[in-house]
Amino acid sequence: MDALGTTALTKHYGRREPPVHLPIGHSGGVVRALDDLTIAVREGEIFGFLGPNGAGKSTTIRLLLGYLHPTSGSAEVLGLDIVRDSVAIRARIGYLPGGIALYDSLTGEDLLDYLGALTGRPSTRRAELTDRLEMSGRTLQRTVRDYSRGMRQKIGIIQALQHDPELAILDEPTEGLDPLMQRAFYDLLDDLKAAGRTIFFSSHVLSEVERVCDRVAIVRRGRLVALEDVASLLERRKRNVEIRAADGDMPALEGVPGVSSIGRTADGRLTCQLEGDVGPFLQAIAGHRITDLTIEPAHLEEAFLELYEDAEPDDGSPQPSPTPAAPAGVP
Amino acid sequence: MSGVLFGHLWRSQRTKLLIVCVAMAAWNVFLPVIYQSFGSQMKALIDSGVIPKQFTNFGGGDVFSLAGSIALGYVHPIAIILISVFAIGFTTSAVAGERQRGTLEVLLARPLSRTTVYVTLLVAALLFIALVLISASAGTVIGSTVAGVLGELAVDRLPLLWLNGMLLWGTFAAIGLAASVSFDRLTPALGITLAIVVVTYFLDILGSLWPDAKGLQPYSLFHYLASRDVLTGTVDLFGLGLLAVVGAAAVGVALVVLPRRDFAAPS
Repeated sequence: MDALGTTALTKHYGRREPPVHLPIGHSGGVVRALDDLTIAVREGEIFGFLGPNGAGKSTTIRLLLGYLHPTSGSAEVLGLDIVRDSVAIRARIGYLPGGIALYDSLTGEDLLDYLGALTGRPSTRRAELTDRLEMSGRTLQRTVRDYSRGMRQKIGIIQALQHDPELAILDEPTEGLDPLMQRAFYDLLDDLKAAGRTIFFSSHVLSEVERVCDRVAIVRRGRLVALEDVASLLERRKRNVEIRAADGDMPALEGVPGVSSIGRTADGRLTCQLEGDVGPFLQAIAGHRITDLTIEPAHLEEAFLELYEDAEPDDGSPQPSPTPAAPAGVP
Repeated sequence: MSGVLFGHLWRSQRTKLLIVCVAMAAWNVFLPVIYQSFGSQMKALIDSGVIPKQFTNFGGGDVFSLAGSIALGYVHPIAIILISVFAIGFTTSAVAGERQRGTLEVLLARPLSRTTVYVTLLVAALLFIALVLISASAGTVIGSTVAGVLGELAVDRLPLLWLNGMLLWGTFAAIGLAASVSFDRLTPALGITLAIVVVTYFLDILGSLWPDAKGLQPYSLFHYLASRDVLTGTVDLFGLGLLAVVGAAAVGVALVVLPRRDFAAPS
């Protein structure tokens, strides 16, 4: 069963309908914040939701939580309709807003008590969360206005997860956390996943998405650009390869499946890019006197940037292809 | 109605509420004392013609009778500022202020319908105003006792005066909340509500001081706060009904706007 699913979910702002000949972004007074988003998040997975500023990430989250009303399309969270059952949905989820603002006059403990009571479910995970995120009892007795950026973020994480929600929607959760706390948070996510909880994770930090997420959806200018496993995305990324060979015994890589951009450096090294299965490449270099071989691992960031380069330019001209990497919208 | 949200509002406002209630009571203690101490001298001064007689009609109050001095206390800018702390300040910041600060995000993420949030805010605002007006009545009784004029006070009419005040300030509170749920920023919500209060106050005061402008008074909500008439035995049921209708209309607007509006990401 899907924990969360959207079907052609669309959100436009403004009153006038756009003239049909205008491209996205030039829509005659209508801001198309989200267009035909169809995604499905499986139960028990950590789902990354990526995109630059203004891509539609926050719009999607706000539609799911009932802050916004969809222009068209539909969505379900935990089997409940986002329009009809918004209150029931919010009773079963946890939400960390991006750049969270808190009630400064309350102590950390009072704030957690208040938000926990509003949720109406016991805060069964609070002790564990405060311990793992190193929020001591003394710190929780201080007023929120005295908290640093990182401490506020930790309180934000605790309030979102303290009642052990079935689904957590986290918007830029590691913003303001130091590296140690980021690691503690990643471990926490791993444990939540092991306990069968679903995490919907919006982030700009690609390395953390790569670290924690099972699948990612990438949105841009309100449209889904890609939706697939992180592993698949990385597998298809071009890796940078550098080869040194003794006595100029360089392998001939032209025509080898997956190999492209073959070149030579001034000091005689062979460089190329490698994509997909490495078998043909290894066969091609076998038998040559290779003295050094470097294959840089593919990072999600490169995959992400490549998808963006392939997609619509920011000048608002028409988008040639909505799904350059994968069949978008199909989980 | 959310008990948890109400409890939070109560805890966050109780110190301010205590201060306003004490100040309001003190102000209303003051007026019967002034009436007892200076009322006859002031009346003699007015009768001498040194001060134009129209000034005795300021807002339907005077200091020549106990009822008049109490009525003056209710329309005096000091009382208006004190009650406005909750009728305008609390209500306009209740949604627009939280939205501007970003704290509305965590509230709306909880399993509360927007209607529940609104009803809780309205009930809290009405309770705070009710307590401030009860303090005013208590101050009136204390002041009359201290000044030795309690016998002149129609104590049994005070609940009706309280009701009249509740209808006026409850209406302004409803207008403030309607403005608050309609805007993302505090400034326009506060500005519109203040403008309504100031303009209607100005119309009533102008009409009370200038005979040619008397026709403007029925267009002011303050005109229907008939404190002196209530204390002297006259009840303007039309006025009370009109305040109730305007207040209900403001509640209706908020209940239509709030559940239907979009809350985009804070900028």
